[in-house]
Amino acid sequence: MIKTQNLTKLFPRATVPALKSINLEIQDGEFVSLVGRSGSGKSTLLYLLSTLDSPTEGNVFYDDVNVKNISAQEIFKLRNKNIGFVFQFHYLLQELTALENVLLPARKAKVLEQRRPMGLKLLEEVGLKGLEKRYPSELSGGEQQRVAIARALIMEPTYLFADEPTGNLDSQNGQMIIDLFDKINKEKGTTIIYVTHDKEFAARARRQITLADGALV
Amino acid sequence: MMFLSLRHLLARKKQSFLILLGITIGTAAYVAISGMMLGFQTFILDQLVNNEAHIRISAREELLTKESLKAFPEVKHVFWSLPPSGRKDSSKIEYPMGWFSKLDLDPDVAAYSPQVVSQVIFNQAKVTRTGRIIGSQFERQMKVTNIENYMKVGSFKDLGNSGNRLIIGSKLMEQLGSRVSETLLISTGNTSPQPFKIVGVFETGIKGIDESTAFSSLVDAQKLRGRPSEITDIAIKLFKPDEAQTKSDAWKVSASDKILPWQESSASILSVFKTQDIVRNSMTIAIIIVAGFGIYNILSILVTQKKRDIAILRSMGFSPSDIVKLFFNQGILLGIIGGIVGLMIGNIICHIMAQIEVVPGRMSGPGNKMIISFATIIYLKAFGIAVLSAIFSSIIPARQAGKLEPMEIIRSGGQ
Repeated sequence: MIKTQNLTKLFPRATVPALKSINLEIQDGEFVSLVGRSGSGKSTLLYLLSTLDSPTEGNVFYDDVNVKNISAQEIFKLRNKNIGFVFQFHYLLQELTALENVLLPARKAKVLEQRRPMGLKLLEEVGLKGLEKRYPSELSGGEQQRVAIARALIMEPTYLFADEPTGNLDSQNGQMIIDLFDKINKEKGTTIIYVTHDKEFAARARRQITLADGALV
Repeated sequence: MMFLSLRHLLARKKQSFLILLGITIGTAAYVAISGMMLGFQTFILDQLVNNEAHIRISAREELLTKESLKAFPEVKHVFWSLPPSGRKDSSKIEYPMGWFSKLDLDPDVAAYSPQVVSQVIFNQAKVTRTGRIIGSQFERQMKVTNIENYMKVGSFKDLGNSGNRLIIGSKLMEQLGSRVSETLLISTGNTSPQPFKIVGVFETGIKGIDESTAFSSLVDAQKLRGRPSEITDIAIKLFKPDEAQTKSDAWKVSASDKILPWQESSASILSVFKTQDIVRNSMTIAIIIVAGFGIYNILSILVTQKKRDIAILRSMGFSPSDIVKLFFNQGILLGIIGGIVGLMIGNIICHIMAQIEVVPGRMSGPGNKMIISFATIIYLKAFGIAVLSAIFSSIIPARQAGKLEPMEIIRSGGQ
């Protein structure tokens, strides 16, 4: 469960806060979309929720533990084991094959060999069977994004955060990504929180959180 | 992170290879140049140290002054219309027996050899050459120097203890137009010339010695000089040549004779060596610095190019120190691999150089081959320089990468 308390974010040199005192609760297993116009603060909220960014004021709680009170090393561990990320740009490491990219978090957690079968299975689930040895440059944008999703899931995280995962894809590939999220949420019970400005894609979530000018609507 | 570091290096084979090449050339150059210079230096030093003596005690040449007359205390008031000048007619060690018993008891002295050294004129038919003759007892002389190793004809033992036999420097014999078993006339200038028969020839490779020096037995040299039982020099060999300086400093306190350690007698050559070392080191350091800047540049560019990778790695739970390692490893790998390859290439070059025949002369060792040093210290230093420069040049960009915050990278769109 993720809970926020008066979450406020003011960027340096900005006069208006990007987020104003947000109070929010997301239960485990929810399928949430964050929507709003550009500049509404939806991405900022996502990164605050995901521990990558820290708030100016207010708190984020993971299962009632304040993120501020978790040591840096523990945060790295939390990101490694409990959180998966998918970004708008597919952000694969160009030097590694699809499978090696997927297994990167497992390498960090020193469970590389144990997770290898799961890596293969995840690539199959996202429809990339047979492309395990391909390098990112040999994959299409949609395929790369699906590799990134497989990578986000390799440690079986509790939470999956996605920042405009369909932003760089055509609608067919975008559709495929959202379908995949839906399936993962249903089958694995992963809490999925994604940012999108596409109304159709946002509607696929079971809960929509709408932001306007840094406040919940 | 080694896995990813390796992948980064392999993904840019050409770049990595060029940097590697720089480090390799620097290391190899250091090994080759050091091998050549140190080989030459040890050879020369060996000749200096072991051909002559570690410490030479010689008679002081005393000039006469007004003060010399103070030796006569009963003379109170002396007024000179022409003050005394000149020098004592001969130089000799005043009390050799005192030295002998002192040296016999000294645990640091390996051997010593009393000598008579005189400036002489060599005469063969109508050819004359000046030079010096060193009279010594051959058993003692052979313990103090390794002259036997440089014998070209005959053995140093052939000198015997008397009988006017002569062992002569190869160049000197050549200039006199003489041959083994011929007889030379030798004179000190103020005594009548005496015949010496050439029984052996030596060649040290040092021109100054080979064209001016001859050896005879101690007794013969004393007779030639017309002063039996006097000696002018004592050549001393220590167990540890490096202690010559401190040893002679200690002796100087209580002795009236001149005491010269090899470091002082060959100070000019030692200073040449120092200059050589400076040239050698600065040259190599220059090469390595260039290679180091190469590493620095490439890593700095790489860090900028890989900002997105850093963000994604950090979002997966990799720590800042993991990121530092990712880039630091690459620099170190280049340093280590370049260093090892450089050592091997340098070693091969040294082996090739050791086979090169050179014109006989100061640079040539036994068999007229170049003398190359394969001392371990050269290789340790070369490798150390390569790795150290890699560490210094990769630590800065690596630490910069570690400081990058994932959010800042994401907000700026990874640019």
